[in-house]
Amino acid sequence: MTIPLVPKLLRAHLRELAINESRIDGRQRWEGRELDVESGVLPRAEGSARVRMGDTIVFAGAKFQIMQPYSDRPNQGGLMCSAEVRPVAGRHWEAGPPSPESIELGRVVDRGIRESGCIDVDSLCIIPGEKAWQVILDLFAISDDGNLFDAFALAGIVALRNAIVPAERFDIGEDYPLELSKTPIMCSYHKVGGRFVYDACGREELGGDERIHITLGDDDHVHSLQKGLKGIFSPNEFTEIMGHAQDRTKELRKIVDSL
Amino acid sequence: MNSRPVARLDNMSKRNTAGGPQRGGQAQLFVVPGEDLGESKGQDIGHGVIAIEGRLRAIKQGRLRQKGSTLSVDPTYTRYIPRPSDLVIGYIEGCTNNIWFVELGAPFNAILPMSLGPGKVEFGGTRSVMDIGDCILCRVQEVEETHSSVVTMKGLGLRKIRSGVIEEISPHLIGRLIGKGGDSLRRLKEETECRIVVADNGRMWVDGNLDGILRVRNILDELSEGSNSNSSGGEA
Amino acid sequence: MGGYGDVQMIDENGLRVDGRGPSDLREISIETGVVPVADGSCRMKWGTNEAIVAVYGPMEAHPRKIQRQDRAVLDVAYNMAPFSTTDRMRPGFNRRSREISKVTKDALESVVLLELYPRSKIRISIEIVSAEAGTRCVGLTAASVALADAGIPMTDMVVSVASGKVNDVVICDLNKEEDNYGEADLPMGILPNSGELVFLQMDGDLSQEEFNQAWQLNMDAAQAIHEKMVESLKGGDSQ
Repeated sequence: MTIPLVPKLLRAHLRELAINESRIDGRQRWEGRELDVESGVLPRAEGSARVRMGDTIVFAGAKFQIMQPYSDRPNQGGLMCSAEVRPVAGRHWEAGPPSPESIELGRVVDRGIRESGCIDVDSLCIIPGEKAWQVILDLFAISDDGNLFDAFALAGIVALRNAIVPAERFDIGEDYPLELSKTPIMCSYHKVGGRFVYDACGREELGGDERIHITLGDDDHVHSLQKGLKGIFSPNEFTEIMGHAQDRTKELRKIVDSL
Repeated sequence: MNSRPVARLDNMSKRNTAGGPQRGGQAQLFVVPGEDLGESKGQDIGHGVIAIEGRLRAIKQGRLRQKGSTLSVDPTYTRYIPRPSDLVIGYIEGCTNNIWFVELGAPFNAILPMSLGPGKVEFGGTRSVMDIGDCILCRVQEVEETHSSVVTMKGLGLRKIRSGVIEEISPHLIGRLIGKGGDSLRRLKEETECRIVVADNGRMWVDGNLDGILRVRNILDELSEGSNSNSSGGEA
Repeated sequence: MGGYGDVQMIDENGLRVDGRGPSDLREISIETGVVPVADGSCRMKWGTNEAIVAVYGPMEAHPRKIQRQDRAVLDVAYNMAPFSTTDRMRPGFNRRSREISKVTKDALESVVLLELYPRSKIRISIEIVSAEAGTRCVGLTAASVALADAGIPMTDMVVSVASGKVNDVVICDLNKEEDNYGEADLPMGILPNSGELVFLQMDGDLSQEEFNQAWQLNMDAAQAIHEKMVESLKGGDSQ
């Protein structure tokens, strides 16, 4: 991606807003943007979701392939997460090999889902040592107006939740739903104008500083963390956002459960 | 970088005298690119219309406008193309020893040579006067045929913008914002106690205390929402 | 093109596997403004196809080597998302996508008034999120609508549709099975105002007479599709 110009006036304005407990789009500090989640939207994927957070729009598609289990894990299948932010999503996203930004995006979302253990890779085994299911989660950005992390993570987990293993197509048996043992949810916080806020929009990302991503499971267990970009934060700041994450992940999990 | 839909002025006629979207006249039906507009009866054609083999055709989507003998299209969306003497708000994107590159929201950055900069600048001293990320109020001096332009800060009121915010605004809302004879804008400035400068490249400078700035932002949101929910065929 | 002539694709009433008559189109829906951060955009559903196109520009043409002094260049990228096909499509370089990107660019460059924006480029991203035969036609048609939405001046919009042949019957707008088991595929890009063409490809086996029939089916279908395009642009008219 090309690095967009950061106007000095924007940073000064964001600082003033922070001091006055306001945000550039009128939201409260811990308030998320308008959220729209739809599942089963991609006819060719075995599981799918479309998430819209403000003007950020992403797709997630879960598909299945047959793989040969790794020699050191003959009874296990696998999960692969791949994230793409193509030029369609924004002026500053360029064509070419994946940028460090989009690679970080994919890997951070992948860790949140994988490390939670929500997919039982033993259950993906078909014939030990020979055949197993590989779940491939493709995350695809359509419009980038900030916080692709949370949009991808949410779309990813919803796609997995409504995924049907296509056993019939591969002559292995009957189709059955993919079982997830828990629902990991990610919340991202950006430091804007000197304080952390939840669900930054495009301009807040542009004029802001570092960011922290937290993925929590059903029981508030911590499954992944990442701090990105230049900046310094204190343990107190972290405690504050962890507190918010515990509340917000529960809200989002309820939404996922209701689909 | 706004989430509001933004349209900018576009002078896409090759003739220097033809302006961008025109004011006045009767706004009529909605046309799309390729739409036939009837026989060319020797009338003038303005923005968004071309003549092909004796017939007129729309080349942009928008509302057809007949002003006097000129037929043109008010586009619903278009990028800003600079014209000489436009008042513009730009961002410094880069500089060399004696030139600044200014981003105007147009296809090309404009050039601000040292000699047209603010006050006295020494060779090699450009960055200490205006740095990358700074915002300036300037005027388009000249535009060459590939739409590259030169801007100047020599002129009344032109300056580096040191405080306040820059908001984006669609040209078709500028008329409503300013109001008849400038009434609405005057009232807005009084009510919010803000200084407001509306530039020609779809940007405006708002300066004052935070409450005033937020109030102006609300008004802009209301204006663009109002234009989305009802399609008024009236004049800008 | 398999040419599996013995697979029954037309029943005794002359209806196709999905119940359509020989000249019927699949269901089409068009929306604009679907990528809020873009200058213009369009989402087109056509049968089980779904394409999302975003337009950015005109902007400075980088790298400099692609710049042209006398006109703008179109940077067209056609891409199929990994989940768009039954067998997952690996992301990355794909020859078919490159070819389609090029012929789509050639078609659009024929209608966009490029001379108005010398040295600049207009970026057109065509993303196929769901595929079911005829994706290049959906992509090109949706790109025209997205360009109109972005205020890019064009002498006309391009309407693209494909006809072919199954069981010796010439039909319009092939679906997936007809594309796999049929005997010919003729996609065209038509300018509705004049009936002229900017895009033409063909593969398979058609007699001269069958070719003329397929040609005419495309021409007729283009008018119907164009009406939908105009409706979607006018319906989204918010001033």
